[in-house]
Amino acid sequence: MTAIQVILSFGLLLIGAYAYKKFRNSIVDAVTMGLFILAGATLVIFPDITSSLARALGVGRGVDLIFYFCILFFIFIILKLYARIRRLEQMMTKVIRNNSIAGAVKVSEKHVVEKEDKSQ
Amino acid sequence: MNLNHNLKNDGIYIIIPVFNEQQTIRKVVESLLVLHYNIVIVDDGSTDATEDCLVGLPVFYIRHEINLGQGAALQTGIEFALSREAEILISFDGDGQHQVADLARLIEPLLLHEANVVLGSRFLPAATTNISFFRKQAIFLGRAVHFLFTGLWLSDAHNGLRAFDRQAASVLELRENRMAHASEILFKLHSHQLTIKEVPVSILYSMYSKSKGQSVFGGIKIFLDILLNRIFE
Repeated sequence: MTAIQVILSFGLLLIGAYAYKKFRNSIVDAVTMGLFILAGATLVIFPDITSSLARALGVGRGVDLIFYFCILFFIFIILKLYARIRRLEQMMTKVIRNNSIAGAVKVSEKHVVEKEDKSQ
Repeated sequence: MNLNHNLKNDGIYIIIPVFNEQQTIRKVVESLLVLHYNIVIVDDGSTDATEDCLVGLPVFYIRHEINLGQGAALQTGIEFALSREAEILISFDGDGQHQVADLARLIEPLLLHEANVVLGSRFLPAATTNISFFRKQAIFLGRAVHFLFTGLWLSDAHNGLRAFDRQAASVLELRENRMAHASEILFKLHSHQLTIKEVPVSILYSMYSKSKGQSVFGGIKIFLDILLNRIFE
């Protein structure tokens, strides 16, 4: 095992431990993360798998193949996160809007009411 | 206004989204009071004395807890006005760049049922504006983008002075909280096949309104927002 394989395996182990801590209440998330980490570990320990896959797809090196897939994956993740942020923003806007409309006042009347309150 | 219509002023709502407009808002509102329309101020989380400036004025005041953006404030005003049976809704800026004298021309086509929406334009004959060269070029790009997405070749883009009838206002449901709402309005109007008319209006930029308004380079951000709006609609 080379040094980089040790570092990457250790990194995957840490991510796995963190994921277990965070997702242990959600079986689907935990299993998904587990599968990802298992796949990652397999590719780290047996790099020839990616190399032969890369050659089959017309890419020179296995590392390059992983790099290309990572780019696609991160673009997908960014879009997913952006869509979620927009959804959250719309929900927040709706809550604030409903509250503010419920609290709408006619300023001139509010002023009169405040004056009456003070005089009592 | 000397028009044959049954609509009373009660059904006309002017919506003014404001954010930190203590310098101008009272003057703007006072100039509008002569029309005897309903005025709705949507305070988008101002941190200055905007609210205090309105004391004693016969206007509706709605306040967002936090700053959400002009689009969100406009939609809040629209929903409030619609809940009060508004028939005509006008969006008007609080920084003093819009002119009260233009409102009659703006709502006339709605009263005559010639259009569902009337947009103010700075570039039609009879319009006056002291717009800068760079802003004009940016607006040209905005017009081109709108044409690309809607097929509508308008004479202006992102002009905040507009009037909607109830039907048009009901379909807007703006989801773009910030400046891209101006484009979103056109997309929605187009997709609902509503009739749009442009009328010339006068927009006077002061140092103050320029500092409050969007910069020319902000246009690039708006363009990105529009693209994302198309993707995530």
